[in-house]
Amino acid sequence: MIDFLDAAIRIATPLLFAALGGILSERAGVFAVGLEGMMLAGAFAATVGAWASDSTAVGILLAAIGGGVIGVAVAVVTVRFRADNMVTGLAANILALGLTSYLVRILAGSGKLVSFHLTLLGPWPIPLLSDIPVVGPLLFDHPPLTYVAVLGCAAIAFFLGRTQAGLTLRATGENPEAVFASGANPFRVRMLAVIACGAIAGLGGAVLTLQQVGTFTDGMTGGRGYLALASLIVARWSPWGAVAACLLFGAAEAFELRLQSFGVPVSSYIIHMVPYLIALAVLAGIGRSSKMPAAIGRPLQQ
Amino acid sequence: MTALLEMRGIVKCFGTLRANDGIDLDVQAGQILGLLGENGSGKSTLMKILFGMQRPDAGTIAFKGRELSDHSPRAAMAAGITMIHQHFMLIEAMTVVENVMLGWPEAGDILQTATMETRIREASQRFGLDLDPRARIASLPLGRRQRVEILKAILRETELLILDEPTSNLAPTEVADLLSILRRLKEEGKGIVFITHKLPEVLEVCDEVVVLRDGRVTGRAPVADVTRGQLAEMMVGRTISTTRAHQAPELGPVRLAARDLVSPGLEPLSFEIRGGEILGIAGVDGNGQIELVETLAGLRRMHGGSIHLDGQDITGASVARRVRAGMAYMPADRAATGLVRSMTVAENLMLRDSRKPPYSAHGVLQPGAGVAKAESLIASYDIRASGPSAIVSRLSGGNQQKIVVARELDRGPAVLIAHQAAWGLDPGATRFVLDRVIALRDAGAAVLYVSSELEEVMTISDRIAVMAGGGFAGVVPHDEADMRQIGLWMSGRAA
Amino acid sequence: MSDTTSPSSGDASEAGGRTFGLRFATDRLAGRILLAVLLSMLSAAGLILLSGHNPFTAFAAMAAGAVGTPHQIGVALNRTTPYLLAGAGVAMCFRAGVINIGAEGQIAIGGIGAAAAALAWPGGMSPIAIVIVLIAAAAAGAGWAAIAAAIHLGRRVHEVLVTLLLNFVALILVQQLLAGSLGQKGAGFLQSPLMPREVWLPRFPGLDAHPGFIIAILAAVALSFVLWRTNFGFAVRVTGSSRPATAYAGFSLGRVTWGVMLLAGALAGLAGGIEVLGIHRRLIEGFSLGFGFKAVTVALLGALEPLAIIPAALFVGLLEAGSLSMQRQVGVPSALVAVIEGLTMLFVLAATVRRT
Repeated sequence: MIDFLDAAIRIATPLLFAALGGILSERAGVFAVGLEGMMLAGAFAATVGAWASDSTAVGILLAAIGGGVIGVAVAVVTVRFRADNMVTGLAANILALGLTSYLVRILAGSGKLVSFHLTLLGPWPIPLLSDIPVVGPLLFDHPPLTYVAVLGCAAIAFFLGRTQAGLTLRATGENPEAVFASGANPFRVRMLAVIACGAIAGLGGAVLTLQQVGTFTDGMTGGRGYLALASLIVARWSPWGAVAACLLFGAAEAFELRLQSFGVPVSSYIIHMVPYLIALAVLAGIGRSSKMPAAIGRPLQQ
Repeated sequence: MTALLEMRGIVKCFGTLRANDGIDLDVQAGQILGLLGENGSGKSTLMKILFGMQRPDAGTIAFKGRELSDHSPRAAMAAGITMIHQHFMLIEAMTVVENVMLGWPEAGDILQTATMETRIREASQRFGLDLDPRARIASLPLGRRQRVEILKAILRETELLILDEPTSNLAPTEVADLLSILRRLKEEGKGIVFITHKLPEVLEVCDEVVVLRDGRVTGRAPVADVTRGQLAEMMVGRTISTTRAHQAPELGPVRLAARDLVSPGLEPLSFEIRGGEILGIAGVDGNGQIELVETLAGLRRMHGGSIHLDGQDITGASVARRVRAGMAYMPADRAATGLVRSMTVAENLMLRDSRKPPYSAHGVLQPGAGVAKAESLIASYDIRASGPSAIVSRLSGGNQQKIVVARELDRGPAVLIAHQAAWGLDPGATRFVLDRVIALRDAGAAVLYVSSELEEVMTISDRIAVMAGGGFAGVVPHDEADMRQIGLWMSGRAA
Repeated sequence: MSDTTSPSSGDASEAGGRTFGLRFATDRLAGRILLAVLLSMLSAAGLILLSGHNPFTAFAAMAAGAVGTPHQIGVALNRTTPYLLAGAGVAMCFRAGVINIGAEGQIAIGGIGAAAAALAWPGGMSPIAIVIVLIAAAAAGAGWAAIAAAIHLGRRVHEVLVTLLLNFVALILVQQLLAGSLGQKGAGFLQSPLMPREVWLPRFPGLDAHPGFIIAILAAVALSFVLWRTNFGFAVRVTGSSRPATAYAGFSLGRVTWGVMLLAGALAGLAGGIEVLGIHRRLIEGFSLGFGFKAVTVALLGALEPLAIIPAALFVGLLEAGSLSMQRQVGVPSALVAVIEGLTMLFVLAATVRRT
């Protein structure tokens, strides 16, 4: 059981980073379809950074920058040029996929893949707390980025709910004209929100490479960005809700792993579908949410 | 004592139109000034100039003895002027306190929500606003939302409050509450400009009234010295041409009959229009006009009642069926509803008839026939375009509207519903539209002509109804129309 | 006049909070798109330099690889076919303001439909067999699109999310069926048995191209006719331009959405069927991978204009066909193509959105 929950948390962690970034973007009024590409760029940059510098910290920093670069592309095209958010996000995903696959091959100079072997970030048990039976190993014995995800969630919840800047960001997604009337610049707010979204989603990519897999492979995010997008909608754009939604998808996948290891005679492929089917079912169940930022996807005037 | 606000000789022209033609306006601290006038009289332009949203061509503004020129809305706000628009600048998904804190430095970079809630409760108590700081805007009725705007102004220590048509969307009890709030603000020494059409409110709350017509001040008096009738006269004026160029033909049978129409924003409403008759609907915007015409045109679901066209029940009919039954509709929203501006003139001319000959046969469009038809309509309706394939967005407003007129009238409709059909058009194009509508009436059609321009309604109608609060405040044949009576109907329900 | 708020600023023009960013600028459109392509090729040249190679050599190798020999031309045409078919369908959806990203899944399900029909075929009657199998593919694709349309219209879930998620489900469904009832036992890969010869698409002698490309061009021409010359196409164009005007014109948003989704699904399904019958001659895992996004790329590159999508799809098809020889002969990774595609899309979006 603890193994199962542990796996759920592990699977949920990269999703959570992406979902948190997506919440910033969507609450500022820009659909976050580009999460997949931002994660992938982050995963790549983290790998290259850690590999070249032999420092995980550099890898993490580069992951944020890598995701942020995709964020800049999305921000410029959607906010400055007022293009359709959805299609721009997809284009950014294709770009990220192509660019990372290309760059990883020219690193070695031969068109071949470099084989990265990174030392994974190990668990950082929190003294005392991790000794508590059951709860300790489950909650207080994780690799560092998992803690960062939870702290980040708290930080973003605080930012959105308790700061003037967060209030302005939320207002921009609801009614940019009112934000303009209040003296702030909705263009700037959206640009910064989308770039921050890229940086945070990039950290989600770093979780995959630095903490879970230890190397970079083409398209290794494998749709996690889209699941993160679904989970932030299911979470009604709330950071703590995103924790729950990501854990739900994490549990679905962990469940699938468990079934396989027990040799339950259910086809593994059908089980692979479960996260996507859950996402569809929940989205269809809640219908069009009233919590959706009212001005999402709407280009700014002027 | 110097006035809080002094505006002197304000002039603003749009092309040949003198929207403001040498207007003087003074507001004292602790005074409520009523600014009266019809649509197009220049009130909004004057206030936009004051608030820094438009530059005057001539004239000066002094606020608290300091000159304001080339100022931005932000500068106006910083100086202590607040403008509350008809469309509130509120975020519906957020609470009262969040809306108050948005963009307000005193709320702190880390929001001092609890402190702000206390201040809101205090201010709410002091001015009788009755606002719960934690209520979501979406859950508040319009009157309360307006108070949130007032609250924002109070907390930001505004000294001059401009309210643009503040009562147009309010229920009567909400109006009474608003007026008592304004009185308290006045007692606190705030200056207030109250822009409105509605005479009873002016008489009740204002100290002084200034009446604008055609960009000039046509009346200025302490409220104690004027009667309602005098105000109505000043506002509507005697210059209105109430004579019709065309004599009405013999009335035919009833062609459009509405019985007990009910839909959100519409009181149960019944009327009939005969062939050869124009029923003009006057009234201030936002009193149910859009609800009425869209319900008739089939674009809005109705909750009760029936509509008959030439005896045929079209109550639940689709838009396409209504068109087939002989209903023409010119929507007020030309930009997005009446026209597809990214498409060509020819395509817009067939917008509502594309499934019929000559535009198509067996589901296939007939571009040749469509272009030929478009060319003949362009000629007969004098649409100034480079040709049938010109893109509509490149045409002038008048020529765009001529496309709508051509499309809707060429069908030879039994009933025409025209909403703001001459809005924003120059006098020549306005005349053109009115003449075509009259010609249709003369050919035996029934016409419902809805406009907030009273003069237009008076010129064209055989019967005049005035809409207020989602219903008819009164209906009168053209020849028996009394301008004072109509002014009173427009200005409030209790005539 | 200046005194009244514009009647056009009412709730009607708001279109329920939805926006349609895919309306293209009307002036100098071809020029803007060529500029976007040029910019992305320039960026690609920069990336080639970064890899230590000469961009001219690389592009020359790419061109030679794409059109150097009849065989290579045939390969490029075969590559182009699914992009053209699915892209034209996607363009119809985008024209109606329906952002259908589901071509990938619809292609995959089309492949399933083709495989199931072909493997169930009793034998004989080659041309009829091909037609029937391809119809099955198109029907399967349309059916998959219908699920998306039903969830989107019935539950008001954004069509991008629905179609994206269904793509994943479809890809896994292919794996599942190949592991089960449609699969070849003991193959070691997830693939179906080879199809009976009578359903194989013939190849033009010496060219190695199958007739799918001709079908795709005919489909694009037909779609151009539908879009510009039929009542349905007119309704599609009005719907994509202004939702309030759609209701005013008497068109039904729901019906138009169903129409374009089924049409796009059928075309994508057909693309899947042609891919299965013409290239692999069996259903294989992941055969549709990336096709859906390429369909979106070519639709945008072709400015949502069915006939213009023909050169757009050819551009992408040639690029991909040539990139493999570029990789082999010059050593520039073929992943560069995806970079060019992504950049082109972004540049096209930035350069062509209509400013309002």
